[in-house]
Amino acid sequence: MKIVDIENLHVSFQHHDGTIKAVRGVSLELFAGESLGIVGESGSGKSVTFLAFMKLLQAPFATIKADKLVLQNTDLLNVDNRSLSNIRGNIVSMIFQDPMASFDPLFTIGHQIVETIQVHNPMRKKAALAKARDLLVRVEITNPDQVLKYYPHQLSGGMLQRAMIAMALSCDPQILIADEPTTALDVTVQAQILQLITNIQTETGMSLIMITHDLGVIAETVDRVVVMYGGRVMEISDTISMFESPKHPYTKALIESIPGREAGKQKLKEIKGASPNALAPPSGCPFHPRCSQADAKCVAEMPELLTYENGRAAACWQVK
Amino acid sequence: MLGYVIRRLLSICATFTIVSILLFIMMHSIPGGPFDATDMPLSEAAKATIMAKYGLDQPLYIQYLKYMWGVLHFDFGVPFQSPGETVLELLGRAWVPSLVLGGGGVLIGTPLGIMLGILAALNRNTWIDYVASGISTLGLTIPVFVTSMLLILVFAVWLDWLPASGWGEPKKWILPIIAYAAIPTATYARYARSAMLDTLNKPFVMVLRAKGLPERKVIFQHVLRNSAIPMVTVFLPMFIGTATGSIFVEAMFRVPGLGAYFVSSIRTRDYPLEMALILMITVMFCFAFFITDIVYAMLNPKIRLGGKVIK
Repeated sequence: MKIVDIENLHVSFQHHDGTIKAVRGVSLELFAGESLGIVGESGSGKSVTFLAFMKLLQAPFATIKADKLVLQNTDLLNVDNRSLSNIRGNIVSMIFQDPMASFDPLFTIGHQIVETIQVHNPMRKKAALAKARDLLVRVEITNPDQVLKYYPHQLSGGMLQRAMIAMALSCDPQILIADEPTTALDVTVQAQILQLITNIQTETGMSLIMITHDLGVIAETVDRVVVMYGGRVMEISDTISMFESPKHPYTKALIESIPGREAGKQKLKEIKGASPNALAPPSGCPFHPRCSQADAKCVAEMPELLTYENGRAAACWQVK
Repeated sequence: MLGYVIRRLLSICATFTIVSILLFIMMHSIPGGPFDATDMPLSEAAKATIMAKYGLDQPLYIQYLKYMWGVLHFDFGVPFQSPGETVLELLGRAWVPSLVLGGGGVLIGTPLGIMLGILAALNRNTWIDYVASGISTLGLTIPVFVTSMLLILVFAVWLDWLPASGWGEPKKWILPIIAYAAIPTATYARYARSAMLDTLNKPFVMVLRAKGLPERKVIFQHVLRNSAIPMVTVFLPMFIGTATGSIFVEAMFRVPGLGAYFVSSIRTRDYPLEMALILMITVMFCFAFFITDIVYAMLNPKIRLGGKVIK
């Protein structure tokens, strides 16, 4: 069952140098219970797509246009503040990149989780506090009573991200959007947090959207991948097929640039050139200036996202 | 915490001593003296007698030590320009109008400025922001004697609602209080706006919205509280700056406050009054910063509890 349907989403920001076109016609969908990865480099529009989806980008600075922006039966293009409050944190929860900056420094962790619970469920403070404690136990925090009383600065990044996940789960959301949840953490902690997210997703059956620039994270956590570049979707594929037989030259280049396992002096492969300038995106396919297979058509015309076997899709003139 | 308080109190004593020495040296190094009148000069003998009476014939360090001994016993001497009373009596008398006007100005200007700043930040880049920021820029850039003049012109001369100047009945306080309020209003409007915008751009505000908290709660329970911390730090110093009198406002409205004594004590080499005024301000600023630091620490758990990190 389709629970998120985004069609032809455009997001732009007014900047004093001009209009930044962060997202240029993104279409994607999410099915109930699946885990979807959104991968792309910085500036590819992957985070902005979902901030726009959650209506967290504010007018007048951001302009959002779409043919469809639907969550279950709610049209998010015409949603009132009340329904929006009911969606955020209740139906769709988000966790963000920097756990240290994600909590209000002036309130305890307990206060902030209780606050979230009470917004969506009328419940006494004592009951909410007990629920918050259970949530902390669920994210494998061993000293929940203490952590409830701590202020954010008293906890490490890994602990805070656990608390953040607990807070995100507090109203049993149907969708969890994780926006680079491990980027700011130590490598050892990263693996634990990813494991925790996958475990919880399996237990609850909620859908997961994992936004990341790290293909390793994709390989470990998601079933299906959307590859984004220059504010466009380049490829959509199940995870295994994407790694085994990438269709789009950009996806291929990304996979090739993963450092090899063998020790030695082989040079790290990179994609030459830089991400497109969102103030003045290149004509045609946004990847053509860096693409080894680009020809005149790629320069002139933006390729459409075409569907291939097994629900795979790619936007490239060179894919046959 | 106790150790911190003691350390701060000691450092205030040190500041006080250093300021008093520098002040004493600078004050006496200005050529001329308090009894050097040119239009009706004193005879040499009379001048020598009067200098001896006030101890001005002694070496400077003796004068300083004697002065500080007096200060330790709350004896600040007798002002040369008004020998009928002690310095403390003069300060007690002249400070009341300055405190009423300056205090009134700060107490009105602070909430007004904060409200303007909040409105501006919440309606950033709209006409509300431009009007609020405009008021604040005008308040900071138009000299207070011009504002005072305009107030007198409009409300006393043209509209004839309020008396133009004087001191006594509360009716006469209104215009000078408004004039005094201009600076705190303008300062706070700027501070509040930038503090609010600073907080609004923090990632946790996005998290608060993403978890479904209504905007009203995001602003009033979280953003305002976080923005209050930088705003607290300006309050007491500004209060003291204002409540110790404004030469201009008091002159414009003919208020018998402290302001005029700052000028006259320096001009007439009124050493006891000059020392007392400046030392008083030094001590008040020291304590203002001290109290501000403590309040700041109480508001901010990061400082209150220290940075112990639990893995």
